[in-house]
Amino acid sequence: MPHMEPQQRAMAINRLLSVGQLDLLRSNTGLLYRIKESQNAGKMKGSDNQEKLVYQIIEDAANKGIWSRDIRYKSNLPLTEINKILKNLESKKLIKAVKSVAASKKKVYMLYNLQPDRSVTGGAWYSDQDFESEFVEVLNQQCCKFLQTKVELSMEDIETILNTLIYDGKVEMTIIAAKEGTVGSVDGHMKLYRAVNPIIQPTGLIRTPCGLCPVFDDCHEGGEISPSNCIYMAEWLEF
Amino acid sequence: MTQAEIKLCSLLLQEHFGEIVEKIGTHLIKTGSQPLRVIANDTGMSLDQVKKALCVLIQHNLVTYQLQKRGFVEYEAPCSRVLRILRYPRYIYTAKTLYSDMGELIVEELLLNGKMTMSAVVRKVANRLTETMEDGKTMDYGEVSNTFVRLADTHFIQRCPMAPETTETSAAPPPPAPTLAVNEKDMYVVPNLNLIGKGKRRRSFDDEDNGEHEAKRQKQDADGKEPPPDDGIYWQANIDRFHQHFRDQAIVSAVANRMDQTSSEIVRTMLRMSEITTSSNAPYTQPLSSNEIFRSLPAGYNIVKQILDQYLTLLADDPLEFVGKSGDSGGGMYVINLHKALATLATATLESVVQERFGSRCARIFRLLLRKKHLEQKQVEDFAMIPAKEAKDMLYKMLSENFVSLQEIPKTPDHAPSRTFYLYTVNTLSSARMLLHRCYKSVANLIERRQYETKENKRLLEKSQRVEAILASMQATGAEEVQLQEIEEMITAPERQQLENLKRNVNKIDASENQVDETIFVLESYIESTVKKP
Repeated sequence: MPHMEPQQRAMAINRLLSVGQLDLLRSNTGLLYRIKESQNAGKMKGSDNQEKLVYQIIEDAANKGIWSRDIRYKSNLPLTEINKILKNLESKKLIKAVKSVAASKKKVYMLYNLQPDRSVTGGAWYSDQDFESEFVEVLNQQCCKFLQTKVELSMEDIETILNTLIYDGKVEMTIIAAKEGTVGSVDGHMKLYRAVNPIIQPTGLIRTPCGLCPVFDDCHEGGEISPSNCIYMAEWLEF
Repeated sequence: MTQAEIKLCSLLLQEHFGEIVEKIGTHLIKTGSQPLRVIANDTGMSLDQVKKALCVLIQHNLVTYQLQKRGFVEYEAPCSRVLRILRYPRYIYTAKTLYSDMGELIVEELLLNGKMTMSAVVRKVANRLTETMEDGKTMDYGEVSNTFVRLADTHFIQRCPMAPETTETSAAPPPPAPTLAVNEKDMYVVPNLNLIGKGKRRRSFDDEDNGEHEAKRQKQDADGKEPPPDDGIYWQANIDRFHQHFRDQAIVSAVANRMDQTSSEIVRTMLRMSEITTSSNAPYTQPLSSNEIFRSLPAGYNIVKQILDQYLTLLADDPLEFVGKSGDSGGGMYVINLHKALATLATATLESVVQERFGSRCARIFRLLLRKKHLEQKQVEDFAMIPAKEAKDMLYKMLSENFVSLQEIPKTPDHAPSRTFYLYTVNTLSSARMLLHRCYKSVANLIERRQYETKENKRLLEKSQRVEAILASMQATGAEEVQLQEIEEMITAPERQQLENLKRNVNKIDASENQVDETIFVLESYIESTVKKP
């Protein structure tokens, strides 16, 4: 707009800002103005500046969401104001509250139409904030069976399940150098899994009743519980 | 020496040697090294009895003596040696698998008698074998001697330390206790004996005609015999060598379970080649080149050199880390990491115990902590994929049984609980010690139960013994079938059933003692390998 006076420009810009047609941003060289989308402009009509500020902060948090205390720090608004604004925005269906799986009492706010991120809801292992242990068990068994029949396998999205199988001692993992571009390779490495057998048979101690006895520490000759009158031994000898 | 160990030692001594020896042995184990008079004083037994008991214990290598600076002799009983009595059946069984019946009997005689000369062993074993053979055949001394020499060559038996030769002109009085020493080189040298003879059968009642002749001949033998040419050279079983063999067996079977038969054979070959060259508590064997291994493979295995190399590479890359590559000369130099292998076996034992006692989810948490060393409660839940409540419960249960311990890391100097990290961790060495202690107590419990069962049925056992004696004597004097049957019916059917039950129970308890001893062996080897020798 070369043929306008700077003062007129400033007035026009201010008016557009107050109406909500323009966004005010700061950059290295100076102030920048961006024209807003028409529906957004419509949405914010009737809200005041503070609400707009809070909305912007929540928008910036994208799909991880942001906690109310963080909103307070970023906007420097008092707690009561924040709560009122949040309630307002929620009723207008612009934002929503999502319960975090990390701390179940904490509520995180994000834009209404966004999908919560994995870290908030826990990903595939959670449904409605409850740990899907049955789901995990079933997948555990399935992966184990699958690995026992197949020789090599490399899959990224069930890596955590495979880690639990490693901790179960049924599977071992090696990392090999792989060409970039092969399926499942990350940074030139590929993880391979192999089903393995345990290296020893169940050890001798647990084949006796004493190995599994719950009252082992109370047992001594001449006492209430002693090897002579041990009921576990008697039962074991009956086999 | 914990309470459990002392109890177990006293039970073993009582079972094998009787009350008096048990009292003195237990006293020595509890109090360390003591001179003769103090022992007699403390145990309240007469000097004569103490002397005899000590003789028995020294003969069986359970007590050692030392001349102290002040001029008196102190006796000491190491607890670990007494606990080896539990393992005697395993030693005998190993000798049987390696050297068949002859080896089994030789080792059995040596273990039962403590120390023996070669000629005495050979004679006894030949007699025993002759009895089991058919009529008319006898066992030649030569064969038995051969097996004896083979056992000495592979170091399963060794010479006992001997007293030094005393010269006639020595003016000083002989020392109160001779210092025994044996030359390293001579330890496995078999004396050059010319043992000719055959095993003799015990006199049986059928052999009445020969009976008199034999009686005369034996008397002559006893009177007219010169002292055997190897008098003074006594042999004993080399326990460390047997332990080395058990350790090798455990490693080979672990490799066979994890990989396949061929790789376990390769590992067995490598271990056999290192038997003599590596000391028993070295951290790894001497490096062996792939060419050497190829030449030493057993004849039955026709695998190509390339396949062997592939197997060796596979073994070296395996996460178990039993085999390591130490160089490239000679086609690749490979070592076996003995300490690492023992640690892995001990860890597997711990995991197995946790799995059986607490369940497979607890085992998952246990293995997770072993891998990641230190973890917070939250991280444990995340990695193991177990719901928070259950994970907490399992961790606390394992904590109370001391399989898992807590490490506090404070954030603030005042160690406030809300501002401190609590990390769960597994300390394998202390868990192994705790489990070992439990093993000792379990074996003591089993022995006591066995003795109790036998005592309960004492009356019945005595009765059956009397009946058997009557039957035997009647058979010898040629009784009729009817009379024999009458005697047999003295034991009623339910009593017979009871005897059967008793026999079965005693066998079961015996077998289970041996099984717990296997666990004891793995844990003891691991703990020993972690102790740094000065």
